[in-house]
Amino acid sequence: MTPTTIETPSARPGGLKLWLERYPFLPALIIVVALLALNGAFSPNSLSYRSLTGLLSTYMALIMLAIAQTYVVSAGDIDLSAGATLSLVNVAIVVLMEKWGGGTGAVVGAMICGILLGLACGVINGIVVAALRLQAIVATFATSIFFTGVALYIMPVAGTPAPALFWRTYGGRLLGLPFIFYVLAALAVLLFLLSRTRLVTQLLAVGDDQQAAYQTGLPVVLVRIKGYALCGLFSALAAFCLTGDTASGDPLVGGKMTLYSVAAVVLGGSALAGGWTTVVGSLLGALTIGLVNSLVFFMGTPSEWQNFVQGLAILLVLMAGVLAGRRARA
Amino acid sequence: MSKLKLNGVSKAYGATLALRRGDLEIAAGEVHVLMGSNGSGKSTLCKIIAGSVRPDGGEILIDGRPVTISGPQSAREQGIGIFYQELSLAGNRSVEENICLAMLPVKAGLFIDRSALKARAARYIDLFSEVSGDGFTAETLVGNLRADQRQLVEIMKALASEAPILIFDEPTSALDRAQVERFFGILRGLKRDGRGIIFISHRMDEITAIGDRVTIIRDGETIKTLNLSETDPATVIRLMVGGAGDMPASQSSAPAVANFSTGAAMTVDRLSGVGFRNVSFEVAKGEILGLGGLHGQGQSAVLRAIFGAGSITSGEIRIGSDRFDAKKPRDAIRRGCAYVSGDRGRDGVIAGRPIIENVTPIHYLRDRLMIARPSSLRQKAMPALEAMHTKFASLMHPINSLSGGNQQKVIIARWLIDRPDVLLLDDPTKGIDLSAKADLFALIRQLAADGLGILLYSSEDAELLGNANRILVFNGGSVTRELTGEDRTRYNLYQAAYEAA
Repeated sequence: MTPTTIETPSARPGGLKLWLERYPFLPALIIVVALLALNGAFSPNSLSYRSLTGLLSTYMALIMLAIAQTYVVSAGDIDLSAGATLSLVNVAIVVLMEKWGGGTGAVVGAMICGILLGLACGVINGIVVAALRLQAIVATFATSIFFTGVALYIMPVAGTPAPALFWRTYGGRLLGLPFIFYVLAALAVLLFLLSRTRLVTQLLAVGDDQQAAYQTGLPVVLVRIKGYALCGLFSALAAFCLTGDTASGDPLVGGKMTLYSVAAVVLGGSALAGGWTTVVGSLLGALTIGLVNSLVFFMGTPSEWQNFVQGLAILLVLMAGVLAGRRARA
Repeated sequence: MSKLKLNGVSKAYGATLALRRGDLEIAAGEVHVLMGSNGSGKSTLCKIIAGSVRPDGGEILIDGRPVTISGPQSAREQGIGIFYQELSLAGNRSVEENICLAMLPVKAGLFIDRSALKARAARYIDLFSEVSGDGFTAETLVGNLRADQRQLVEIMKALASEAPILIFDEPTSALDRAQVERFFGILRGLKRDGRGIIFISHRMDEITAIGDRVTIIRDGETIKTLNLSETDPATVIRLMVGGAGDMPASQSSAPAVANFSTGAAMTVDRLSGVGFRNVSFEVAKGEILGLGGLHGQGQSAVLRAIFGAGSITSGEIRIGSDRFDAKKPRDAIRRGCAYVSGDRGRDGVIAGRPIIENVTPIHYLRDRLMIARPSSLRQKAMPALEAMHTKFASLMHPINSLSGGNQQKVIIARWLIDRPDVLLLDDPTKGIDLSAKADLFALIRQLAADGLGILLYSSEDAELLGNANRILVFNGGSVTRELTGEDRTRYNLYQAAYEAA
């Protein structure tokens, strides 16, 4: 019996393909650079140090949420409740900080509670999806409504302000550098450490082929639950950034960010089917969305046309990224 | 004492008994070969041992102690490693990660110990270093490897389990000579270490080269265990086939030699594509041409390619005297070619929709129907369904409410509203019950009598022998033998299928 697959194309990946395998976020990086250049062309001022740090602190919440989404997408799952988790953590920490008096102790205590809350939301999602085997899209959509309900119970109306200590720190400077840079650096270290964990490799193996991972002897259910827990954790971090940026609580703030986070994951070069993801790409994908929005603003688009242009621009970027990726990987 | 012992292990999927009774005893330091035809239960038996399939009954003993294997993880803990026939690799992970995936070495309980992982993987990669071919490095993504290289990775992964009991379910199907030699060298070493090895292969020469004992499985039952040194291939094949092996098959009333003066329904000339090469044949109007051989030797690939669902690199297909090159199934359907697959879920059923919608899609396409009236559709659908003795409550019931056999009848009925010229049957009776099979073949013969040209691939040899006028035996992607008339016996079919290419 000779091989059944007679001729499989030769295994040597070409130069470009090899690069993309090692750095799958390259197309996203090129797009970000191009968008920066376009922003600069329409408004040179938008490339100033000040507006770039502003952009970063505004979109850091989306960056965190996109990274949160990336970990569940790695395992071939999806989390449509990430935005709702963000809202829940946002209102919870604002209420707690207010209740505890707004001092340093209150802020730290509230943040610890926020992280635990985010983790809890993630574990609930993980149990519902992986252990109870419900469809990820529908199940996390349902939990998102549930989390929103809890958030509305905690804070029925938006507007409770966060303590000044919290948002002044986030928007301010530390040792002469904008605080957001420290956030970015801490994030980079965290992502680097996570990328070396056994969990991330297991998540990717599960996303690659769940049946194969099970047959290999991986604890598939547990791995997927941990993926959701990681997603909950980063959703909580996203909530911190958002609270720092908006300086207030809003029980519905995260709702529309969920699908933006999914879009950012795809724009970054990850495969939504799982097994092939890049957190750096998701970071760049979130920045892409931010830059498209600011570009639409700087182009002076009339307000009634802004959504139209934004949608179109994201579609174009998505097409460019997909085409580039397909050409190189084929 | 035996390393592994199975007593009366069984497994059923719904009404189908995949494994009726599995008895097996593996001694330390032996290579124990499992032999049996397609679907006889070898893989099910292996998966039960490896924990990825739960048995319904029977007991498993390791080193004399009864054990419960609750899953692949537990099998691993009990000292069982397996090579999966369909491979268990993550395409986007590197070779070294795949090899160590089951037990990733960690430091601080959290982070992957890269250097330990590299060192461990290198041990197994080095075993095959001379034969693993171009582009095979520890860092290569498995998805970029050739089929034989992927198979090597799966072998390394099984070896890396360092389990006292190792199962290899067709580990050599894509390997070349040198790779097989190397692998056998390693197996001999493992034998000396006192490991118990289960080995499945369809190559008779490999079995005699490496095996110590052989257990034959037929129809989900372990028939007999023999010492390979005291037996010969003919005996083994005869046991696999069963008592009736030498009897000609034509008694099951298939017309032994039909007189086809009516001309060719379809001619295939030197067709090559992915999974098959240089296949030529002619099917006459009114003829049932069987495609036989072991599973996955190119039979399905040829049928799908003819239907426009696979790729053709060279060769040509003619219907009558016209060239027939279906680029897409849509073309094929419009030109009177029908395809029924055994994989109903993928290729047939429109899940969750009413029966009537499942009977009529081909009619829509062939008649370019834009607007449908249920009453006129019903008139067309009913005769087609009745011809098959399809049992259903009403045309508006969802197709999922039917049994597998009745679903398949609905799928076939959709091709009967507008008669095709050529019918391609790709293992059409997979997972359907006996009475439905009987109905199905009665209809297929009726269609042949009406002048259709029929190509039938079946993984059950009895179906081929009982219905086909001629049988082309596929081996490694091409036709190696044609069985006609009195030659159509089980014995000949097996021999041709198991021949080393």
